[in-house]
Parts: sequence; structure tokens; C-alpha cells
Amino acid sequence: MLKLIIEKELREILGSTKFVVTFSVCATLILIAFYVGGRSYDVSRSDYEAAVAENVKQMAGLTDWGRIDHRVFLEPQPLGALVTGIANDIGRTTEVRTRGELNSENSRFNEDPLFAVFRFLDLEFIFGIVLSLFAILFGYDAINGEKERGTLRLSFANAVPRDKYILGKLAGSFLALSVPLLIPILIGCLLLPILGVPMESGDWQRLAMIIACGYLYLGVFLALSIFISAMTEHSSSSFLLLLVVWIIAVLIVPRTAVLVSGRAVDVPTMDEINFEKNRISDQLRREDDSKLRAYWSENPQTGTETRDQMMTRFRNYWSELADAREQEVRALSARLSEDRRNRERVQQRIALGISRISPTSVFSLAATDLAGTSLELQQQYQDQVSQYRDDYTRFIEEKTGGSGGFWFSGGSTDEAEEEPIDPYELPVFEFDAPTAATLVSKSLLDLGLLTIFNIVFFVGAFVAFLRYDVR
Amino acid sequence: MEDTRTDSPLLEAINLTKRYEDGTLALDDVSFKVYPGEVYAMLGGNGAGKTTTINLFLNFIEPTSGEARVDGIVTHVDPLAAKSKLAYVSENVMLYPNFTALQNLDYFARLGGKTSYSKDDYRRVLTRVGLEEEAHDRRLKGFSKGMRQKCGIAIAILKDAPAILLDEPTSGLDPKAGLEFTRLLQSLRDEGRAILMSTHDIFRAKDISNTVGIMNRGKIVMQKTSAELEGVDLEQIYVEYMAGYMDDAGVAAEEVA
Repeated sequence: MLKLIIEKELREILGSTKFVVTFSVCATLILIAFYVGGRSYDVSRSDYEAAVAENVKQMAGLTDWGRIDHRVFLEPQPLGALVTGIANDIGRTTEVRTRGELNSENSRFNEDPLFAVFRFLDLEFIFGIVLSLFAILFGYDAINGEKERGTLRLSFANAVPRDKYILGKLAGSFLALSVPLLIPILIGCLLLPILGVPMESGDWQRLAMIIACGYLYLGVFLALSIFISAMTEHSSSSFLLLLVVWIIAVLIVPRTAVLVSGRAVDVPTMDEINFEKNRISDQLRREDDSKLRAYWSENPQTGTETRDQMMTRFRNYWSELADAREQEVRALSARLSEDRRNRERVQQRIALGISRISPTSVFSLAATDLAGTSLELQQQYQDQVSQYRDDYTRFIEEKTGGSGGFWFSGGSTDEAEEEPIDPYELPVFEFDAPTAATLVSKSLLDLGLLTIFNIVFFVGAFVAFLRYDVR
Repeated sequence: MEDTRTDSPLLEAINLTKRYEDGTLALDDVSFKVYPGEVYAMLGGNGAGKTTTINLFLNFIEPTSGEARVDGIVTHVDPLAAKSKLAYVSENVMLYPNFTALQNLDYFARLGGKTSYSKDDYRRVLTRVGLEEEAHDRRLKGFSKGMRQKCGIAIAILKDAPAILLDEPTSGLDPKAGLEFTRLLQSLRDEGRAILMSTHDIFRAKDISNTVGIMNRGKIVMQKTSAELEGVDLEQIYVEYMAGYMDDAGVAAEEVA
């Protein structure tokens, strides 16, 4: 009986014009997403390699490690091309200095502002927006539409158990929508290596999980549609109701969550933090200037001291002051940043907690976690750049004899006589992306929530249909 | 009218009453029996309770009191077992418009538990109910009401159930299709099936029924066998009963007021 109802659903949906149109749209969008994603990765990869090469090139000919202008770059991630997440929003280039703040710039949207307006056509968009709408389109009249058409009455004039009927409806609709979509998805997967995206086994596993997650999400909207269809008398009512639910879930809840959390927790802006840091830094610098002047007047050049010796002593004293100031500024900066980060975490926790009442947000969070392009990407990159800065600082101190790369002109050094530096000696920065296992474990909560949404809506549809008046 | 038969009825209404939650009394203590090889016609105007009676046999609704039985099975106690012995044709048969006639037949036959039919069997039944061969493989989208009705009857035949419920089956059929339907019904009756039919069509009811029950306001106000109706003007009786009942109701209403 169950098989028969599933077969009927499959045949009915697959033979409809509605399916032909929606499948064509989805298949085209999925193929475009894979193609554009693959090309985009290729371009990002070329840009990244060119930027790394340019960084080395611009150091050519320099003879003083203290004068280099060194940048590190966030390497593009293969799955970031398919689920962009925040990968295009964050700065991918960071100027690394031994002192001062680390600021990242040159986000993709900074370079291509049009993308910021229209966003990318990726798998997250296709599943989150397009397929959820199509699920509604196929499920809104699953029960009340059959009643309106009169086929429900004829079906239930037979010895058909209601539980099998509703299960068959859901399974049939789900299979009719999901199985054909595997074709463009598989073709898209084949495109990735052809387009030069270096997919490793972990990447394939995560991509499979992203697609599975998309199917779970599709199931949520299908079960919800059938549930509402079994709760309402007319298909026009269920369609309208589902449209409202879709707008709330897809457009309103995520934005409201951000607004509410913004109200709940006050996080200082980066400008405010920088202003505070600069204010204290300026104050310390002024104090150091006074100390420097006092040192100059109290410890003038002695008769036994050459000018170079005096300048070295003076530079050492200045360096001590600068180091102490830098330590103090760093400690303060760390405190302010930590405070901001803590507030930001609380704010994010509230926002994510609220947004998780929407299956769309849950899907987005799971997909971006799996793709490695979630909110954490920015923090991971900054933490790794910060760690790298320590290695870089040690390296520069070794090379500059402890001046930390601060260039202080005594007027006596002759650069022409010095050997040019070898930029390849610099420690290499490589963004260490989290492992597939780590990313999968991070997405488990949201995968679990999507499963719960499916169960809740299916049970709702089941119970509603058991009490449904089939006349 | 006294029941002297010793065999068991296939369809039986025993003091069947249905009062809806809003207080409307749709069916009031209705009792009748339909034996194998018999046609029972329920005559009555709109809202008389004919469709409610059929809905109770199909367990689409549960009785407030009384029982509807199919081959001895109480429909609201074991609806699936009762439905396995019932075939049903509605007033306006609606099937899946994207399926062909054959596909619809195949689906509903299998839903009714018949899995061994071949395409030829389906074609044979469709031809028997008068659907032209060229329409067998066509989608139902473009079918007229009469063609759909024929498909509905074919589905009922394929189910091979001992009892058949027909809810205004000839409504909207042209005279030729109506005549074909009457012949078909007679042949089903002659095969030994028990048929319960609700209709407005007094002449067809008299032609093919073994028993006619006139319903008004949820009650059977008159029940006569074909022998009792011999030489009687059923139309006249129908009008008199309906008018009398309406007068009674009018008097009662005035008394209450």
C-alpha cells in the first residue's frame, strides 16, 4: 500500500508541468552555482597566488628587515566557492607589523561591490530560498487539494490506512523532488575537478553533508506544507499561510534576531575601540617623548663617546621605551579586544539562538559550518595571523638585532653597503583550515535541529491527517 | 414492510442517527437492508440525508447512534474491513487529471486491493462501461463528466466488491449515457451485488430498484418494494410524501412558535 501511494505521488508529480518547470529552473541554477563557484575559486586562487608573489616581489632590493612591508593573505577554501558564507565579507589581506594593530582589508565585496548588493548564487541560496519555495509549491495542496479535486474521497472509499497514506504522500513528494535534483548536483560535482578546484576526500565528505543538509531542509518545508495542507480546508488558504510562514522564516526571523541581539548587548564598534586605543597610545607616546627629552638633557653626549655610540645609546633607550609602551598598548588593546569579543560572543549567541527558530537560519548555519565559511572563519583567520605575528616578530628581531623592526635613523648607516634581504627567509603564513571532523562536529547541533523540525512537522501532519475530514 | 428473508443482508442500516456538533439532525433513526442481487434506491431532495447515509457506510463520519453494517461488519468499528467489501461511485467522479484512464484504473484497482489485473483487463472494463477505446490512453484532463463517470464505474467494477454505493451516479449524464448506466447497473445487480443508490431520478429508481426509500429531513418517510410499486405512480407518491412532510413540519413549526 505504502509503495503504491509513493509510486502514485512520484508519477503524479513527475508527470506534471509544474515539475518540469521547477526542475528545469533548479537544475539550471545548481549547474550555474557549481560552474560559477568553480570559476570564482579559480580566480580567487590566482589572485591569492599573485598577491603572495607580489608581496615577495615588493621586498626585492631592500636591505633592512625593519623596512619591509609584509602582508599575509587568506587562502580561498574550495567549498567557500559553493557556500560562500562570510568568506566574501571579511578582509583577506592583513599587513603584519611587529607593533600595532592587525587590520584585515580587501574583502571580495570591497573589490566587487555589486556582489555585496546582489550576493552570490551559491548552494546556500538555491536550497535556502529557491528549493524551500518549490517545496511549498509541491506540498501546499497535498491534502486539501486532493479533497478539493475529489480524489481523497475516492481513495478513502477503499481500505486505506491513514498513516500509510500520509507517510506515502510525504515520502513520494520528497523523492519526486529530491532524486531528480541529484542529477544536476552530480554533474556539478564532476565540474569541480574539471574547473581545477582541488577537492580532497574531506572536502567531498563535507560537500555530501551540505547536500544532505539541504535535503533535510527541503524535507522541513515539505513536511510543513503537508502539515498546513492537512490543517486547512482550502488550498488557497494553505498557500497563503505557507507564504507568510516562508517570509517569516526566510526573511524576518534572521534579521529580527540580529536586531534583538543588538539591542540586548551593546558591543562597541571597531572605531570606538580604535579611538580608545589611539587615545591611550598617544598619551603614552607623549609621556615617552617627555621621558626622551629628559633623558637627552640629563644624559648628553659624553666626551669619551663618539656620535655613533651616543646614537646607539639613545636608540636603545628609545627602543626600551617603545617596547614598554608597545607592551602596555598591546595589553590594553588585548583587554579592549577581549572585552569586545566577549560582548560580541554573547550578542552572537543571542542572535543565533533566536534565529534558530527558523529552519532557514539553521540550514545556513549548518551549511556554512560544514563549508568552513561560518562566522568563526574571521576569528580563526585573525587568531592565526596573530600567532603568525609572534613568529614574524621573533624573526624580525633576530634580523634587526632586537629593535623589533623599528627603523631609527641615526644618519650613519649606509644601505648601499649592506646585503639585500632574502624575502623567502620570512616565516610562511598558511591558513590552517579546521579539519573535516571538526567542522562536521560543529554542524551537528544544526543538523539535529533540522531533523527535529522534520519530525515535528511530520508528526503534526500525521496527527492533523488522522483527524482530517476526507469528505 | 416485514422482512421475511433468511439470508444475510450485505448492507444494513440499523437505527442510524447522525446529529452534527452544531445540533443539526442529518439522519434520524434510519433502518433498511440491502441483500445480494438487490438495488435499494434512496429518493429525496437536497439535504434529505442520502449522502449522509452513504458517508456513514464509508465511515467518513461516525454515527451518533445506531450502526451501518457491510456484510455484518460495523463500519465505525472496523472501517477498513468494511471498506474492503465496498465499491463507491460519487456524483461527480474526480480522478487524477495527469494520469490516463488506464493509469487511474490501475492505481485505484490496486488501492482497492486488486493487484493481478492486466492492461487488457482494464481495457475490457472500460469498453464494458462504454468508454471509447481511443480514450483509454488519454489523460483525464480533457474528459467530459460522462467519461469520468464511466471511469468511476469501471473502478467500482474492478474492485469486485459485493456491495456498491452510488451517490447520484447519473447526475449530469446525457440520456444515452444514463441508459447505458442503467443497463450496467442491472447487470451488476444480476451478478449478485448489493447496490445502495441515492438519486433524484424517480423513473430510473423505479426501473431498476428492488426497494425504494423516500427520505425527507433525515428520515425514511416511505419504503416500498418493486412489487408494491407495481402499477403505482411513484412520482405522485413522491410529491405527496414530500408535500405532506413539509406540511407536517410547517404545522409543527407553527405549534412551537
